Amino acid sequence: MTDTVMSISVLELCQNHGLTEQVIIEVVDHGIARPLTGSRTSEWAFDITSVHWLRKAVRLHADLEIDWIAVAMVIDLLRENEALQRRNQCFEQQLKRFLEAH
Amino acid sequence: MDFKDYYKILDVPKDADNTVIKTAYRKLARKYHPDVNPEPGAEDKFKEVAEAYEVLKNTERRAEYDELRKYGGRSAQGFEPPPDWQGSRASAGGHAEQFDGDFSDFFNSIFGGAAGGTRQRHSGFRGQDAEIEMPVFLEETLTETSKLVEYRIPVIENGQVTETKKSLKVKIPAGVVDGERIRLKGQAGPGQGDAPSGDLYLHIRVVPHPLFDVEGHDLVITVPVAPWEAALGAKVTVPTLGGKINLTIAPNSQTGQRLRAKGKGLVTRNGTGDLYAVLKIVVPPSANDEIKALWQSLSDKTDFDPRGNWSNER
Repeated sequence: MTDTVMSISVLELCQNHGLTEQVIIEVVDHGIARPLTGSRTSEWAFDITSVHWLRKAVRLHADLEIDWIAVAMVIDLLRENEALQRRNQCFEQQLKRFLEAH
Repeated sequence: MDFKDYYKILDVPKDADNTVIKTAYRKLARKYHPDVNPEPGAEDKFKEVAEAYEVLKNTERRAEYDELRKYGGRSAQGFEPPPDWQGSRASAGGHAEQFDGDFSDFFNSIFGGAAGGTRQRHSGFRGQDAEIEMPVFLEETLTETSKLVEYRIPVIENGQVTETKKSLKVKIPAGVVDGERIRLKGQAGPGQGDAPSGDLYLHIRVVPHPLFDVEGHDLVITVPVAPWEAALGAKVTVPTLGGKINLTIAPNSQTGQRLRAKGKGLVTRNGTGDLYAVLKIVVPPSANDEIKALWQSLSDKTDFDPRGNWSNER
């Protein structure tokens, strides 16, 4: 049985994803990801879902050559879009249940 | 291999200055970046654009490319670098940090592949991470479950990239939600030499349930009721994820009305949700003469006008 890991440390983010501590601090400062635990930067740990957004943010920052404020806005909108899509799907499903003959 | 016209890819003239090239790149990158454009093909298009920019933004590399272009652009057949071509004179290494993918064979044949996949390069020869979707039934999220995961990972054997099938029994913690990701350390691509393997990420997708819809950590179930149940009130048995419960429908209930069963929703790490039963009044699909007569007598005896609030409008 393989145990699942629900978090990732700053060290692992740097080693496994080629990020730097400085970049991670930027991302946290701009509210794109929030550490689960740790008071000092080197002790931070993130949940795995925020790693997905963190990496996306780093890619957007580098590839689109946009500053962190713009990246944070894009990430917020992407998240909102994802949440709305999920909500829409749910409403569509409920509507279908309402319209179909029982 | 085909010759790549980087000017055409960025849609800029041959004598475009750096500002024009940058603007063109930014415009196309915004349009095709796979993180903002989920359309199939967008990622390939973005890679092409990023590669073109990687070459044209750098004066040395651009000069080298322009020289080759005179040679390669004319060739009617596929492109081959000139036999005396040294390659990677304008070394691309260390500059291509923003690119997360591999450059084309064409790029590698000119610049020696020094810039390809630099993100991996930063982390030595650790194996590649992988992400797969993991369907989970709603019932399975209530408690810790174990699931069999089967997936393929690329491995390099004798310089050739092949795929190998892996299967794992994975412990899925209780309370996972749709869209959440979990990590399996060292279960993806093997590292080279003593380097560690990459991690496998599981993207949880909760399978749509035949009865329940999920709203955050609440569940919603549509409950069909007969017109007389809605009018007179009734007790109905409603399924939940953990067994059946009885709900009391108040007299004069309407379609769309929600009844709440506290604590009967999903159990997530952020708390336990509720179950909402949404009433849907259903008329019998057919009626015999006796039933029709009863409906008729009801109709005769009531002055209820369901469209009463239209009366003031013309």
